[in-house]
Amino acid sequence: MLCIACGGRETATPPATATNPVADNDTPVDGGTLLRRLDIDVVTLNPIVSSTRNDRLVTQYLFTPVIHLDRNLQPIPGLADSWEISDDGLTYRFQLNKKATFSDGKPVRASDLVFTLRKIVDPAAEAVQVSGSFEQMDISRTRALDDHTVEIVFKQPLATQLTRFNDVLVLPEHAYAAGNFRKDYNDTALGSGPYKLVKREVGKEIVLERRTDYWGDRPHIQRVIWKVIVDHAVAFNAVKRGEIDETFVTSDSWQRERTDPDLTKFLDFHRFYTLNYNHINWNTRHPILSDKRVRRALAMCLPIDTIVNDLYHGTARAMSGPFTPDEWAYNPTVPVIRYDLDAARQLLAQAGWKDTNGDGVLDKDARPLAFELLIMSGSSTAKTIAQMLQAEGKKAGVQIEITMMDGAAAIPHIMAGKHEAAYLSWDLDPDPDPYAMFHSSQAPPRGQNFGFYANAEADKIMEQARRELDIGKRKELFWRLHELLAEDQPYLWIVQVSDKRAVNKRVRGVIPSRGFGFYLWYPGEFDWWIAPAR
Amino acid sequence: MTSYVLRRLLFAALTFFGITVATFVLIHSVPGDPVSFFVGRAGAYTLPKEVIDAIRAQYHLDEPLPVQYLYWLRGAVTLDFGESIIDRRDVTTRIAEKLPNTLQLNTVAFLIAAIVGIPIGLWSAARSGRLAERASAVGFFLLYSLPSFWVALLLMQLFAIRFDILPLFGMASDDYADMSTGARVADRLRHMILPALTLTYGQLAIFARFSKSAVTEVIRQDFITAARAKGAGEMAVMWRHAFRNALIPMITLLGITIPYLISGSVIVEQIFQWDGIGLLYMQAILSRDYPTIMGLTVITAVVTLLASLLADILYAVADPRVRVGERAQ
Repeated sequence: MLCIACGGRETATPPATATNPVADNDTPVDGGTLLRRLDIDVVTLNPIVSSTRNDRLVTQYLFTPVIHLDRNLQPIPGLADSWEISDDGLTYRFQLNKKATFSDGKPVRASDLVFTLRKIVDPAAEAVQVSGSFEQMDISRTRALDDHTVEIVFKQPLATQLTRFNDVLVLPEHAYAAGNFRKDYNDTALGSGPYKLVKREVGKEIVLERRTDYWGDRPHIQRVIWKVIVDHAVAFNAVKRGEIDETFVTSDSWQRERTDPDLTKFLDFHRFYTLNYNHINWNTRHPILSDKRVRRALAMCLPIDTIVNDLYHGTARAMSGPFTPDEWAYNPTVPVIRYDLDAARQLLAQAGWKDTNGDGVLDKDARPLAFELLIMSGSSTAKTIAQMLQAEGKKAGVQIEITMMDGAAAIPHIMAGKHEAAYLSWDLDPDPDPYAMFHSSQAPPRGQNFGFYANAEADKIMEQARRELDIGKRKELFWRLHELLAEDQPYLWIVQVSDKRAVNKRVRGVIPSRGFGFYLWYPGEFDWWIAPAR
Repeated sequence: MTSYVLRRLLFAALTFFGITVATFVLIHSVPGDPVSFFVGRAGAYTLPKEVIDAIRAQYHLDEPLPVQYLYWLRGAVTLDFGESIIDRRDVTTRIAEKLPNTLQLNTVAFLIAAIVGIPIGLWSAARSGRLAERASAVGFFLLYSLPSFWVALLLMQLFAIRFDILPLFGMASDDYADMSTGARVADRLRHMILPALTLTYGQLAIFARFSKSAVTEVIRQDFITAARAKGAGEMAVMWRHAFRNALIPMITLLGITIPYLISGSVIVEQIFQWDGIGLLYMQAILSRDYPTIMGLTVITAVVTLLASLLADILYAVADPRVRVGERAQ
């Protein structure tokens, strides 16, 4: 068997472009093959039933959304050239690009958008990701006015509604109307995007090729191959050998290898913040955790600087409230709660907690200051952070019991509000709207306010902000909300973790957006090009 | 012999039924259900109740558990294991895509382990108690306890990166489709070396130590002394007399090992990107994809039962006393 191994030696050498210098010319050239990585294979290529982020990474190439988001996550034309929104915010009228065609050459029509919207709200289609964004749509009054104009009517105005059209990747009715919509279009794709599907090998790779008849600005790269590589360490090895052009980099590899001159010769290391944060959700109905002084004291027990500097090697930043620093809704005057055990002890004493029986755990009315913190198995950083809080909390007289559950068990438990405290993370939407997370009407079983947080002023602000179409006024409302929530501490806000990537230097034009990184902004990855080998 | 096989078959069928019921009840009693897979991915928006209800109804998750089982059984008797809740593809297709990959890799690993491990076991039995044998025993225990993810990454670092003679990951080269049949086999074997090695070293230790102890039992007995006394060479004693009589425990080992051929290793599959049963099983369990879990359980159960049936029959073939014992009842 070993002889066979020696015989095939040539094929194992990395391609010439991998570690060799590339031409220094900065004018984009067309052609080339981009080798990208998927950490899990896509579930489906049908963009409406898609349920994972990876699905969207690929379908983005094959379909066009009604609107694109630019680098600052502001709406710009996508399949729609222009749009009008009525003053009451209920009626949206989109003008579709008249040149737009699907990859089979047929034109994109208004009826295709109506068809797609109908599928989104059809429960049988199981559009798990996108249906929630269109719950308020009145499909009976939504119609095509002519071949390229669509009028969409909503039952309630929603400030974030326009950006949600970024998730509407339009399907051709003539190709997707027949058969079982949920089942028959997982491995095929026919869209109006700049690329078309060449093949999909489940569990292995997806090959896309640039359309020659594309109606918009044609991207530079001829072929895009997505390879499925589950393991991060293996993917990092693969990018080092030039077998893929880009990959996610773990905090540890980032710390160890990003300055290695052998690597920086041919790899660029990028780091950017995406719209996500980690936090601990407090169940505010819990007899102990219902006191916001206790919640604030617990935040003071978390050694946030150690987490940022040692656990994430400085690649994360501390959070002060529900918005991340790159968002316009972020109020920079709200301070992060710093680690301060003395202040925590004082605050707990003010709240009436004392160690009367000398067992090292504070108590009040014969009840010890103890609760259970739920974390999901599989994340070692979650575990480390929970243990840090546990250890520091103990010094302040708080007893925290850490419980682990796997995701499928933990999610229904938390959604029902049965937890006491739970370590979670959120991926946020490009247009901020914390309503589902903090409005009192969204408590279990209805929404995502798992901790039953309720504050009448916050409720009012979130209701107003949802209806307010003026971004300046929304900003004022959200700045106040940021203060309120930081005061009330329904969450223990931890960190926003940055996304770290290694990209082969032969790939040019790589620019991250504010909040989405390489992905989901326009032109983003469609402006990348491959430098020819020198 | 026929009635012996028939009884064993009947017993296997009952066991099979028991396994499916037990698995069904078990996976449904674990907290969480497939819908939480979608809910967890719906982000900050609320997943409309109608969508959740549609998914539940589609999979009869809204029915009582015994009814759900009957739905499942009705499909299973016609070899229809339903659709995966995650991607709506037929469970049979999903398994059929991955089973050959796992089978190929594990068969190669199994053969290497058996071909290398059993002779080492015999050698150890013959040298039992001597320094070289003691040392090799310690070596095997060490080998057996090495964590496979570590060995896999080490092998990868050494052979794929340092020496650059073997592929980093995957089951085939990019130009696999354009290769001749011979080149394809060679390409597949090249990709198989590192994952197979990772799978083999632990099994090898099991085979070596198991066959050693089986044979050691036998060579203490009088007939071996008799064979030696009549002047048979050491090789002949070991192979013809000792090993043959040690077959019964070896058959047991075979019965235990065969099901292993179709159960993939999550770690090896993940690191070498070998698209097999292990990752499928793990993902199915994590996402509570009941139909896929049940389909995989059925396959594993069938193979395990067949292997133990085969072992039972082989006992009877290898040892006439087993048959006599049956008749005497």
